Amino acid sequence: MTALRTILRNLLAIYRRELQSYLASPLAYVIAGIFWLLGGFFLVVILFSPEGLLAQTVQRDQALQLGVTLPPLDVAYEFLNYYFGILGSLSMFILPILSMGLYAEERKQGTLELLATSPLTNWVVALGKLLAVVTFYVGMVLPLMLCVAIALGTAEPAVSPNLLLVGNLGLILLATSVLSLGMFVSSLTSSTVVSAILTFALVIFLWIVDALARAIPGWIGGALEHLSILQHFTDFTQGVFDTSSMVLFLSYSLLGLFLTAQSIETLRFQRN
Amino acid sequence: MIEVDHLHKVYGSTVALKDVSFAVEPGEILGFLGPNGAGKTTTMRILTGYLPATSGTAKVADYDVHTNSMAVRQRIGYLPERPPLYPDMTVEGFLHFVARIKGVAAGDRSQQVNYAIQRCALKEKQSALIRQLSKGFRQRVGIAQAIVHDPPVIVLDEPTSGLDPRQNSEVRSLVRSLAGDHTIILSTHILPEVDATCNRVAIINRGQLVAAGKLDALMGQLTGAVSYDLEVEGAPADVQNILVAVPGVDTVELASSTVLDTRHRFRVKAGERDPGAAIAAAIVHAGLGLHELRRHQASLEDVFLNLTTEEPSAAAEPVESAAVAVPTLSETPSPDETATVDDSEAASTADETPDQSAEAP
Repeated sequence: MTALRTILRNLLAIYRRELQSYLASPLAYVIAGIFWLLGGFFLVVILFSPEGLLAQTVQRDQALQLGVTLPPLDVAYEFLNYYFGILGSLSMFILPILSMGLYAEERKQGTLELLATSPLTNWVVALGKLLAVVTFYVGMVLPLMLCVAIALGTAEPAVSPNLLLVGNLGLILLATSVLSLGMFVSSLTSSTVVSAILTFALVIFLWIVDALARAIPGWIGGALEHLSILQHFTDFTQGVFDTSSMVLFLSYSLLGLFLTAQSIETLRFQRN
Repeated sequence: MIEVDHLHKVYGSTVALKDVSFAVEPGEILGFLGPNGAGKTTTMRILTGYLPATSGTAKVADYDVHTNSMAVRQRIGYLPERPPLYPDMTVEGFLHFVARIKGVAAGDRSQQVNYAIQRCALKEKQSALIRQLSKGFRQRVGIAQAIVHDPPVIVLDEPTSGLDPRQNSEVRSLVRSLAGDHTIILSTHILPEVDATCNRVAIINRGQLVAAGKLDALMGQLTGAVSYDLEVEGAPADVQNILVAVPGVDTVELASSTVLDTRHRFRVKAGERDPGAAIAAAIVHAGLGLHELRRHQASLEDVFLNLTTEEPSAAAEPVESAAVAVPTLSETPSPDETATVDDSEAASTADETPDQSAEAP
């Protein structure tokens, strides 16, 4: 019982410190600003551009009046599908920048030595850091989610809020997996730039895996499809909540945590 | 409080520590002395549980640093060579964070943080961002984070490196004030620091402990023979004869610097006995003028250099004595030179000497 309380206390200490360092960092605000700007921009484009969803519905209404029947369009569904697709891709660019400093900065400043000589396990440190960066990401997503909720609130017939919630859950789970792997990459180097570039390479690799999963027929493609986190993310954005997808995301996150803890442990055996 | 027993550390093919053993009693300050790269940091990292030792054991407060790492980490305060600070935190916030991860109970945290702030004289800077602090203050924050959980053992890796002399003495007196309640290991390559702060020293060189013990005892033991510097008025040969006859005197050398023509400096080496009084008595008894008699105390610096020079001591010895012998030889003819002016080298002095002697009568 006391052991659990100690773990929670340490977890909270690491979590708070890490989150605080995001809030004190100008870079984090720049990233959030760009994310909101682009997210808002695409939100507007998807709805209001000349080829946007609203224009399309108007066209359909006009066609209906002329007596031509076009295939039906589920606006809310299409909207969320587009929107999460774009937000997911945008996140893939942003997440490596969020995770790049998690350990690289500690290594650079020598504070890793403080953490490693304090009565904490590597797991607690890694988990606290991951939760903090995920919290920051959720903070970035929330305002956009609010905008989307407002847009969907006007939809007729009314859209189930579950659709939005499941989509956002997928987005956050995807981000957690990528951030966790990015944290591992960050633990490998003391340069934030190298960490960001390597994590971005990892993200591209995930995209390639996803593309291969779609392109290769047969069981290999099927296996890749099961392993591709982007594929599972797409399921979520379509409102499909699948426990197995959730397990997969959590497995990737755990893998990242495990690799980070191991990498920090091995770091001690190296000479500076 | 701290026991280090036959510690070995090997990185790949390089041996960083070879059979290092020492112990520190509660309340003591141990100065860990050695040139850069001697293995000081490695030893400290093993003690703090940052690095595992290849073989051997280290115990802090009776807990093995390897098998009982968490217990040791709770009882040790560690200032690494580079103070581990988060630049975007305030001093107070940072100390609270450290207190939390070191396991200080929530109720005691504010009190402990205040204690550390007050002890390290950080009151005026407690709400400043660490990024904005000068090097001296950062070092103090580094020490504050090492004592915030009131650990019985404090390990400080070069706590005064890169500080100006005033900050230096502040940090030293801070460290001294911490002894007693805390057991402290302090590493340094700056010798006066050990003199000024430590009760005991351990000197390490190339991964091996070359000496350990109380500072005074170590100095006495390592300097061995006593030597004297003398300045005597009188013929060098007479003085030498008198001095050699004094019991306990081993060798007498005419040293280089002569203040006046009639006075000469000598370096007397004696054995374990301390013949200072006898030397003075002999010279005075012979009716020669004794202008200076100074016991030559080997400094910590000498001891340190002696112990940590790269060459084995057998090779170092002849070099030293040769360096002494050369000036002695070149100096010996000089009295003769003034007596018989025949060298072309002394032509200019030869011009003046007859003038002076001509005027004298």
